[in-house]
Amino acid sequence: MKKKMAYIGEIAPLSLSDYFGEPACVIFFSGCNFNCGYCQNWKLKKSSNEHLTDIESIKKVISENKLVTACKVTGGEPLLQLDALLEIGRFAKSIGLKFGIDTNGSLPEALAKILHLLDLVSIDIKADLDEESYRRVIGLQSPPVSEVIKSIEIAMRSDAYVEFRMVVIPGYNDSTKTMKSVSETLRALGYEEKASKGKACFNLIEFVPENAFDEDFRGIKNPSVSLLHDLAVSSGLKNARITHRGLGILKPVY
Amino acid sequence: MMTEAILNGRLPPPVRRSDGVIEPFDKERIVKSLVKETQLVKVLYNLPPMSEEDARMIAEEVEEDIKNMKLRFLSGPLIRELVSVKLLEHGFDKYRNVYTRVGMPLYDVYSIDHSEGYEAKENANLQPNPETFHKKKADFLSKESYLLMMPPRIADAHLRGDIHIHDLEYWGTRPFCQDHDLRYFFYYGLMPDGTGTHTSVAGPAKHAEVAILHAAKVLGAAQTNFAGGQGFFNFTVFMAPYLMGLDDKKIHQLAQMFLYEMTQLYVARGGQPVFSSIQIEAGVPKVWQDAPVVSHGKIWKDLTYGSLEDQVHAFANALLDEYLKGDAMGKMFNFPKPEVVQRRRYWTESEFEDVMLKAAQLSAKYGSTYYDNVVPKYRGGEEGVSCFQCCAYAFAEDGASEDFKRKINFEDGAHFSMGGMQVTTLNLPRIAYRSGGDENRLYEILKETMDIARDALLLKHRIMVQQFEKGLIPFASQRPKGAPPAVDIKNLTHTIGFVGMNELVEHVTGYELHEDPSAQKLALKVLIEMDMIRKEYSEETGLKFSIARTPAESCAQRFAVADMIHYPKYAKEYVKGDLERALSLYGDTKDVPIYYTNGAHVNVSAKVPLYERLAIEQRFFPILKGGDIFHVWLGEANPDPEALLKLNKKLALESWIGYWSHTKDITVCRACGFVGGGLNESCPMCRSQDIRVYSRITGYYQDVASWNAAKKQELKDRYRIRLPA
Ligand code: SF4
Repeated sequence: MKKKMAYIGEIAPLSLSDYFGEPACVIFFSGCNFNCGYCQNWKLKKSSNEHLTDIESIKKVISENKLVTACKVTGGEPLLQLDALLEIGRFAKSIGLKFGIDTNGSLPEALAKILHLLDLVSIDIKADLDEESYRRVIGLQSPPVSEVIKSIEIAMRSDAYVEFRMVVIPGYNDSTKTMKSVSETLRALGYEEKASKGKACFNLIEFVPENAFDEDFRGIKNPSVSLLHDLAVSSGLKNARITHRGLGILKPVY
Repeated sequence: MMTEAILNGRLPPPVRRSDGVIEPFDKERIVKSLVKETQLVKVLYNLPPMSEEDARMIAEEVEEDIKNMKLRFLSGPLIRELVSVKLLEHGFDKYRNVYTRVGMPLYDVYSIDHSEGYEAKENANLQPNPETFHKKKADFLSKESYLLMMPPRIADAHLRGDIHIHDLEYWGTRPFCQDHDLRYFFYYGLMPDGTGTHTSVAGPAKHAEVAILHAAKVLGAAQTNFAGGQGFFNFTVFMAPYLMGLDDKKIHQLAQMFLYEMTQLYVARGGQPVFSSIQIEAGVPKVWQDAPVVSHGKIWKDLTYGSLEDQVHAFANALLDEYLKGDAMGKMFNFPKPEVVQRRRYWTESEFEDVMLKAAQLSAKYGSTYYDNVVPKYRGGEEGVSCFQCCAYAFAEDGASEDFKRKINFEDGAHFSMGGMQVTTLNLPRIAYRSGGDENRLYEILKETMDIARDALLLKHRIMVQQFEKGLIPFASQRPKGAPPAVDIKNLTHTIGFVGMNELVEHVTGYELHEDPSAQKLALKVLIEMDMIRKEYSEETGLKFSIARTPAESCAQRFAVADMIHYPKYAKEYVKGDLERALSLYGDTKDVPIYYTNGAHVNVSAKVPLYERLAIEQRFFPILKGGDIFHVWLGEANPDPEALLKLNKKLALESWIGYWSHTKDITVCRACGFVGGGLNESCPMCRSQDIRVYSRITGYYQDVASWNAAKKQELKDRYRIRLPA
């Protein structure tokens, strides 16, 4: 039988900060269709042959690891390797683990195909959901904003817990205006209803300059806790949270 | 005229005594002092002292030598050195041992006072301050003396690095550590000096504040008698009677008071806080349920600890809340180390969820919680009394032990006294080198080495019992109102520790512990062998012996360096750390970045996921009843407490781990006061680079800035549970 391979850069066999409330095994798929200057995981942006990994060996790590209750796939962009993702997701569920993914939202069709396996989906919100704002952050000439919106719609309708993650980069997406526009979009797509069921949150995350891909971004100062806090409040969204090294993760704001 | 005669070598020069008096040289003084002082040879090694005849012969030869030296003056120390050389020339090594002076070069004294050099870094817990400088000089003197006083077989084994005798500076004066029974002091009151002659004597506490202060002072006073950690087992349970009728706010205040007392009584052993720990029970353990309460100076007739579970529970919560708050700067309380007991019922009965969650939150925030897991069968479960001391040494009394019931009921003051007499650590890699890789030979050398360790421990036992009986360890031997002594000196545990199981098996099998099952199998075999030998010792002597992993403050480094000297061919291959840098530093300093792996741990820098580390290390726990620890290295700066809680539950109920903690690095910013997780390069809050980073390698948190090079290296090497697929 031919081995099934996938581009998987690394595994964190035990993470206590990637899956709400669960000790999780985190799998890092490599390869991404975006080119964000701020990318905090840029070593996995390009898939390289060094990353080619037998999916069976991944399954083995997941199943031997009796310390975790969840499995999460992140990247890179996991939905670019849908088959591998489906296989890992099915396997994780079959051994009783919760399963979640991170996505940049550009692949709504792939998302729809895996949704039935997902307990958690974290969707990146890079900036105001319009082409011009996205272009500045993700480094693509024609950013697929409508796809991102489609992904949000699909996720909202699912049973999965949806986290909207926004890495706050001073000068790019840290204005109250951005918060207003993002929250309006989310609200229009059914955020409040989902959040009031305890199934959605909006998470503002500290940008850590020393981890950034692009030289220019490394010169930006990290946002302060109070900035994140004020932005979260100004979004007016239910279940708004902030994540900052200075704070501990996921502090509910109100 | 006089001067001329001296310079011509006809008369020895006059002697300047250290008290300032100048007097003529008199060889009879040498004869007398030799005859008198070599009596110690009889006391220490049970050999005959020097005869007067030999002494005179030595004195005469020394006089001749002096005459030929053309000195202008002599001093007492100089003459003593000359006599010592002469003793060696005649093969009188043992007489030389007891006749020589001990002391240190002036240069070293200068370095200590100015906080420079290796000595300045050896104990990372010692902050430089005037008390510390004093202690270091005294330590130096004491260590040197004790090595001379020991039978050379033991001293040489220590010096060569076959074994390590811990806390050598206290060899002749202090037992190692103690977990105290608070009931004793709540019944008899407090006598900090043990006799009541130099300190005031307090009656038993009647109020909660006083009980808290007494508890703190017990640990402070005891620290002056012991070399190592001081703690209270069952702390929340024994405090409970003082909390009756108090509201939650008051209970929190008391908890806070205790934490501040223990971190601000900056007086122990040369200006450091007491090295302390407290055992936190969320509820009342089964053995204490029906036991009568002892407090307020009496044994309550109609009150059992079982009826105080609400107070115990509230106090456990309050302590953890205060630990979580940290000090006024938001910095964590380093002491007393919280040992949160894990029992099945604390996980299955939902009312205790709060304590378990707070323990997890504390781990997530500071990594400072220790989990004392009595769930696994080998811990004696609900039938015994046990505790882990500061350095992860474990002590236990099982329910079947003599007098157990009497101690539970505090009959005639019978109480528990758990602690260690002395720790002596084996250099396991060297045993492997010496065996030439032959397993049978390995066990022979293991036994030989353990025998030396045993002899050291038995000698320590004899010395301590003597000191104790003479009233020279007065806090421990106190007997208020004819009570049994506070500390049961003969019941202390004699611990044989070890370093470098990983390198032992690597040398014999070719694999490190995590690389092959054959390596793990051998480790287990060696441990079982050690345990059998330990049992023999216990049976032969009727004393408590145990096998433990050594927290190895400086031991893991010392052995590695010693082996680079004595077994360089092998050591080069097996020591961990930065060998290249070590070799370049070598010669200038002993503080080089190489070390062996602690205990039977998996190599810290091995790329092994936590669950595999767990699978390997948990198998050693049932044998290492004398103490072991599992480090859950956390890669993330801010773990999710809820996720950590679930991980703890799995460790408590599904593993054999008897003791673990979560290890996370902490950044403290000196510019803005920020405290948070991670080995940050700059402050995430104010971006200042004036930060301190705290981490834990050997069992408790230390400022990395004051660490020696090997420990810093260990920190760099340790594996962050990230695995390339
Ligand atoms: S930040 Fe995410 S979406 Fe952007 S390049 Fe990096 S991995 Fe891709």
